[in-house]
Amino acid sequence: MNRRDIELLSAYLDGQLKPSDSARLESRLKSDPELVAVMDDLRAARGLLRRLPQRRAPRNFTLTRKMVGQNPPMPRAYPFFRFATTLATLLLFFTFGLNFLAPQLAAVPEIGFGGGGDPASVDLYSQSQPAEAPGAAEPPATEAPAATEPPAVALESAPQPTLMPTMGDIARTAVTATEKLDATGNAVAQRDESQVPSEAPVPVSIGWQIALAGIALLGALLMLLMRQTAFQRWRQKE
Amino acid sequence: MNEQALILDAQKGNLEAFNTLILHYQDGVYNTALRILGDEDQAADAAQEAFISAFKSIASFRGGSFKAWLMRTVTNACYDELRRQKRRPTTPLEPDTDDGEEMDSPHWLADPNMTPDQKAEADELEHAIQHCLNNLPLEFKTVVIMADIQGMDYTEVATSVRVPLGTIKSRLARARLRLRECLQGFEELLPATFRLEEGSNAQ
Repeated sequence: MNRRDIELLSAYLDGQLKPSDSARLESRLKSDPELVAVMDDLRAARGLLRRLPQRRAPRNFTLTRKMVGQNPPMPRAYPFFRFATTLATLLLFFTFGLNFLAPQLAAVPEIGFGGGGDPASVDLYSQSQPAEAPGAAEPPATEAPAATEPPAVALESAPQPTLMPTMGDIARTAVTATEKLDATGNAVAQRDESQVPSEAPVPVSIGWQIALAGIALLGALLMLLMRQTAFQRWRQKE
Repeated sequence: MNEQALILDAQKGNLEAFNTLILHYQDGVYNTALRILGDEDQAADAAQEAFISAFKSIASFRGGSFKAWLMRTVTNACYDELRRQKRRPTTPLEPDTDDGEEMDSPHWLADPNMTPDQKAEADELEHAIQHCLNNLPLEFKTVVIMADIQGMDYTEVATSVRVPLGTIKSRLARARLRLRECLQGFEELLPATFRLEEGSNAQ
């Protein structure tokens, strides 16, 4: 008795053998009691399994649309409104950000960190270094007229590879620097009040913001209305 | 029930058509899950998961036996559940008797047409068979459940399990033999009407 014989017997019980194989096995069964005993075992096990009662399902397993993530078909205009609403909302937030940040960004060079665009602040910083401008080491507070000279010299000798200020710019800067030196006495850069307006204009007007907010709100309301209508129609169909 | 028409409708997204198919097959799917997992609640969960998965992937059904395709889905759901159990083993909440044996669940004895003795016999038989099924390797268990409990033919089983027909024959024969050996240990416990009778089911 080998594995092949057991497979043959099992398939024979299920009527899965070819007629020729069945006939051959039947002739062997007549002369081999061990083969008969194994077939009886297989048949008994198979019979028991087949008599096993079938349970009824404890509940219905029918599916709902929610279970399978189905949504009702939306109107054709729905994607357009979704896009417009999203875009308007994003733009609205962008304008808020822009209006908030723009005045702060404009003020950055005057504070003195980096100061890339203002030649005056650069030059004033260079004046505060005694090694670069020996004339500035003398006490400036008491000799105000004389103090105008060294900054002018320093400005003329200071390398300006990219900005290349005109003579008028240099003179104006020198005057500003003199004024600041006079006020503080220690060559610290100060904010020039005349250069920054008291109320800087915002980049995006409030009218645009209202318009964007209106588009976003209107789009959202229309989308909500479309969804509700679609779901109502869908439920009526069920 | 026009199965082909329902399948076509379901493939177009018609949930009602698929629910009609579910109502037709749910007992078989649940029983298959129950015999593989051996637990009613887990079987119900696996059956539900299988139907959800089947609906979502029904577009991949390319004809043939729908029952075999559905059974493949439920066996996959059962395998997933068994893998989950392996990762996170749990203790059943069913009450035990003083001897430490599991108490019969009321559902187990729910057939109203049976006398109490018959119910007890059926209960013992079912327990014994389920115990022996649980001792089989998973690939043998799946094949014997489909062929002998669900009554599927070899081709359907081969389609469901995705193995060649020869492998199905081999697994089925060995599973039956192992079950017979296991059930011999329960012979004294089994009621007389369910004892293994040689030659009782010859074809």
